[in-house]
Amino acid sequence: MGRQVAIVSAGYSEHASKRSDVNMAELVSEAVEDCLKKVPSVGFEDIDAYVNGNMPAFEGSNLPELWMTDWMGARNKPLIRVTTGGTTGGTVAIAGYYTVTAGLPGIDTVLAIAFEQQSQGDTSVGLASVAYGELSVLNTLGMSYEHLTRLLSAGAAIGVASYQATNYMRKSKITEEDLARVVVQNRHNAAKTWWAHLKMPNLTIEEVLDTPYISYPLRYGMVCPASDGACAVLFTTEEKAKDMCDIPVYVNGVASVAHESAVLGYDGSGSGQIDPSEQLGAMRSSELAYSQAGISMPRKEIDYAEVYAPFPNQELMWVEKLGLFEETTAPQMYENGVTGLKGELPICCSGGVNSTNAIGASALERPAEAALQIMGKASNQVPKSVHTAIGHGWGGSLNLCTMLVMADEPQRKWR
Amino acid sequence: MQRVGIVGYNQVKLYSDANYGRYEMIFEAVRGAIDSAGLKKKDITTVISCTNDYYEGRTISNCFTVEVGGGYMADESKVEMDGAHAVLYGLMRILSGNHKLAVIWGGSMASCFPYHSARLYETDPTWERPVAYVNDISSAGFQMRAYLQKYGVNNEDIAKIAVKNRKNASKNPLALEEAKNPNITIKDVLESGIYADPVTELMVAQPCDGVAALLLAPEKQALKITDNPVWITGVGYSQDTYYLGDRDLSGSKSMEVASKMAFNAAGIKDPKSEINVAELFEAYAHEEIIFSEAIGFAEKGKGAELNTEIDGEIPINPSGGAIGGNPPCGTGLIRIIEAAKQLRGEANGYQVKNARKAIASGQIGMCAQNNILFVLEGGN
Repeated sequence: MGRQVAIVSAGYSEHASKRSDVNMAELVSEAVEDCLKKVPSVGFEDIDAYVNGNMPAFEGSNLPELWMTDWMGARNKPLIRVTTGGTTGGTVAIAGYYTVTAGLPGIDTVLAIAFEQQSQGDTSVGLASVAYGELSVLNTLGMSYEHLTRLLSAGAAIGVASYQATNYMRKSKITEEDLARVVVQNRHNAAKTWWAHLKMPNLTIEEVLDTPYISYPLRYGMVCPASDGACAVLFTTEEKAKDMCDIPVYVNGVASVAHESAVLGYDGSGSGQIDPSEQLGAMRSSELAYSQAGISMPRKEIDYAEVYAPFPNQELMWVEKLGLFEETTAPQMYENGVTGLKGELPICCSGGVNSTNAIGASALERPAEAALQIMGKASNQVPKSVHTAIGHGWGGSLNLCTMLVMADEPQRKWR
Repeated sequence: MQRVGIVGYNQVKLYSDANYGRYEMIFEAVRGAIDSAGLKKKDITTVISCTNDYYEGRTISNCFTVEVGGGYMADESKVEMDGAHAVLYGLMRILSGNHKLAVIWGGSMASCFPYHSARLYETDPTWERPVAYVNDISSAGFQMRAYLQKYGVNNEDIAKIAVKNRKNASKNPLALEEAKNPNITIKDVLESGIYADPVTELMVAQPCDGVAALLLAPEKQALKITDNPVWITGVGYSQDTYYLGDRDLSGSKSMEVASKMAFNAAGIKDPKSEINVAELFEAYAHEEIIFSEAIGFAEKGKGAELNTEIDGEIPINPSGGAIGGNPPCGTGLIRIIEAAKQLRGEANGYQVKNARKAIASGQIGMCAQNNILFVLEGGN
């Protein structure tokens, strides 16, 4: 059976809207360097295998891990590439976990790398091509052009997100102010995170509400930026982890359950008739990951959470769907400061995806940041001690989800 | 390494222009694999797919294949390499103890996209892509030329491999019709159009449409599901450096490293005497020779002298190999399925006698930059 897996280090590149001073490979090497710098006893010769992923369509490079081999130190080493859209980073983390736990001969230490350099290409074009397949089919079926363009917006992120946001707002009866409050908390946190993108230490709710709508109810000031950045996380076995760092972070639960796609449905791929704020896949993922980690009361047992929320409504929704708060109570928790840096259950103290979104890397930065909080090495460290934390990611057409549960104590497998 | 069982598989027939949708093709492959093992959809705990966003022409290409691939409400992920790498990830998931049945599927429809243009996006975006001089076509030419010149081998020796694989493919009902030719001669291969000198058209594994699916289960479950499982006893994978000038193209360093790792895991000391059949992903005829040398079947430069016919000393690609049909993202997975068929005695018409141990490989990248090799064992 599988071996216990630990995270010993995590590193980031600097994030910005245009990292034109580096190319993709150099961006990745920045994160790799930062990751290895934190574990001085580990060199490239100690890394046995690699996992790599990004969103290939955004930069216009197919299989970029091939040409950046030497920038990762991966020459003549085992490497696999996993990509699943927005969840790519989480998928990379989970593949890193599985590469260690599988126990293939000679593979103990694995470097997982995810990145995105969106300034190299056009993200919206890349995202729209999620929907093109459906469009051409609907077009041949005689659907009018206005309907098609509306569907196109569903292919890009803001289209599905606003659809999801209005559904959530109807259920939880919140206002735009509640959404703005989440944004303010994130941007303030980002100001204290060295690698974050949108640092706004003095942002106010009024300022957020003063920006124009992109798509109701999401305003310009509420949505994530498009960032360039990379993240690297070092996974290894329990035995080796103890020699590499002071506080190894044990990965005790992983899951990535797929549900039907939220908006577009054709040829058996979903009915297109579901409420995107239901998120059965995310609920099932968290259930699986918690049960693997032996967590029965997530609300009490989890000390810190990094959820993947480019849009503030999603942050409110995820913390409920992942079992951290009761349904529809999350907005109140943000208002009462429960989720702040000094609160009982701090959420996204890195500023979250809402402040930094290098898409392929974002879902890896969530578990990476959660692990650093447990180690006590995070840039914006919470004052209370963190024992158990989660890192979450979503992607696809709101239908994919990744979950990692980490703790400072290993969970012996019960099997 | 604990052994993991292959308990079912299915491959759709390969077409150069399939007259049906990719979702139907995926469904046919996955459904067939589950049926072949006598299982139900609810038995699936994890699904690993293998597609490529550039080949699908769609960002997040696994987003809409969830249901047809059996991944609805299952632990799902996608490997964007060769189908054989997806099998590796499925294998890791089984070895972790978290999962009891993994579905792995991979493939694409090359008739729907310009394959070589998509592969041009693999190249270094700063120095190589703008001039497009180095690409998957020209690099195959470099590779074959490097091999021929270093070891003084003739074009005829390479053409022989294409002849053998195309003859073998004609016995394989699932192979690509265009690749089948029982009467082909060395002259035909050498006189077919120049692809990238000295590679000629008939030496190339033609990209085509197709999907394949495979089921993996841990040892205990595998024995419950079938009386005739095939065991994965070893796996190795490795990635060479990118720039062609930094590599020795006359050999395959990544295949050497991968095979060493796989044979070490499976406890194989002398591959030539222990392995009864090999299914290798040769994107071009000459790669089969380079790989067979890297694996240790022959000394460097002597690969062409091996008898690799179905009844030869070490049969390679009795199914026709990738030259018998090369659906991008599916080819390596099909090699594993073909090797499993040989071990189960199901390769009607191209069965190797007394096959007990087999190897199967997958690759991606120019000049096979990343290689993966599996060791399979049959019976109990």
